[in-house]
Amino acid sequence: MIRIVSAELLLLGKRASTWILLGIWAALALTFAYVVPYVQYTNDPSRASLAELLPESLVGTLMAGFPFFGGVLALMLGVLTIGSEYGWGTLRTLFTQGPGRLQVFGAKLIAIAATLGMFVLVAYALGVVSSLAIAAAEGANVTWPSAWLLFRGLAGGWLIFAAWAALGMLLAILTRGTALATGIGILYAFVIEGLFSALAGEISVLDRLVEFFVRANGYSLVAVLGVSPDDVGDRGPGSFSGPFVGGSQATLVLAAYTAVFVVVAAWLLRRRDVV
Amino acid sequence: MTENTTQLVVETHELGKRYGDRIQAVDGLSLNVRRGEVYGFLGPNGAGKTTTLRMLLGLIRPTTGSALVLGAKPGTSRALARLGSLIETPTFYPYLSGRDNLRVLARYARVPESRIATVLADVDLAGRAGDRFRTYSLGMKQRLGIAAALLKDPELLILDEPTNGMDPAGMAEMRPFIRSLGRGDRTVLLSSHLMGEVEQVCDRVGVISQGSLVGEGTVDELRGREGLWLRAEPLGEAQRLLADFRGVEEVERDDDGLRIAAEPAAAVEINRALVEAGIAVSELRPERPSLEKVFLELTNAEEEA
Repeated sequence: MIRIVSAELLLLGKRASTWILLGIWAALALTFAYVVPYVQYTNDPSRASLAELLPESLVGTLMAGFPFFGGVLALMLGVLTIGSEYGWGTLRTLFTQGPGRLQVFGAKLIAIAATLGMFVLVAYALGVVSSLAIAAAEGANVTWPSAWLLFRGLAGGWLIFAAWAALGMLLAILTRGTALATGIGILYAFVIEGLFSALAGEISVLDRLVEFFVRANGYSLVAVLGVSPDDVGDRGPGSFSGPFVGGSQATLVLAAYTAVFVVVAAWLLRRRDVV
Repeated sequence: MTENTTQLVVETHELGKRYGDRIQAVDGLSLNVRRGEVYGFLGPNGAGKTTTLRMLLGLIRPTTGSALVLGAKPGTSRALARLGSLIETPTFYPYLSGRDNLRVLARYARVPESRIATVLADVDLAGRAGDRFRTYSLGMKQRLGIAAALLKDPELLILDEPTNGMDPAGMAEMRPFIRSLGRGDRTVLLSSHLMGEVEQVCDRVGVISQGSLVGEGTVDELRGREGLWLRAEPLGEAQRLLADFRGVEEVERDDDGLRIAAEPAAAVEINRALVEAGIAVSELRPERPSLEKVFLELTNAEEEA
């Protein structure tokens, strides 16, 4: 299995789209977590809080982007990892090498899980550097969040990414390609969940339904880690104003989504003809 | 499955694949490929060749019948570990070099990466191995596909139209290479619609039409015995005379002449008899139906049926 995983890591590592998505993610995370708020603070200190830009607020400041654009980028990574194989016809090349289909899928899962881990770590590394730079520029004291909070932030970020990436992989397998899968994924993330969330306050039955949506649970998870609900409710197209659920429920629901998406994707991949 | 199974590398029994209610891609195909032979799988486009090969690789599931590949169920690790394949156009990662593509496959196939240089040299692609696959010509892609199929040093090679897209020089070069791959214990199952390729390369040939096997044997067996071909005037009179001629088994019209089932040595007697009967003979020569003619007869007969 180690050699197959190394093959998948080679595929992801040499693929430009992996690095393009990572670059976009890093740029967006840095811009919206630190650059824009710091520019606002320097222009008008009453419009932004310096405390949120310092190392102590690292987890809460960074996590707001995970359920929003981070999730969509993870979805695209999931789609590209397996959807392109249909377009290039390489799935049949892999399926005739020896390992079973589930082993091939398992190797892809491990490789994408590792890549998502790298995405999370890159965001945190940029957050550390940015918050230290701002603290130095403003002459503020440097205090770090607890190790437990840092761990929860890293794990929570990875879990949000994993749920979206697993959805991307499932959509790619269902549609046997990338274009339709990406379209459906983005439509679901922004339009369907967004509309239901917006209507949830007016129709009570939707309120309960939205509590089980991927985005609602992602936002609920980051809210537990220090992201202000008011802050994510005021973020343009990615805004989310509730309903929020508890951290344990959010973790369980996201883990359950990831597991269900992975199991259904594996079942389809194993069962269907590859032409 | 009547032959000694240890000698059979591929066995199919009444293998069938149906798509929906209307398309019967493969229909009751029973095929036996023996160890060490180069078996030609000949058929027109859309006859079911690629579908059959995909079933042998486990990529698609048959709707009826069964198959064994190297004694194992198609698509199992036991079968796949010992076979190499190239199905239709070679499919690789366009952003990777030829060498990196083989590196990925070597890791998947649990083959030492030292094999990569060997197979690249075998297909004469070492000089361009560092270039991205997307920059390759169709012929180079085909050669990389064969290199990938050889990575595992397989007991069975399944090649689907391996010279597709190659220029005449490349095809001429590739045919003896494919022939050489079948030397020793290795078995090659070669699908093609090119008669010349099959005649030059294959020990035995199976002809498939509309999903069914319509003929099987060595090229010589399929082409049948050598006979005679006659052009004479008046042709009808010549046909009547030869119908009862000693040593002639059968006479049939063939375009603007007669095909005579007789030993070529009987040509002298036949010519004398025709001339003595006042029939003008303009051409009398030994003749053997080409594989192409046999192929067309077999496949047309199936279509008419």
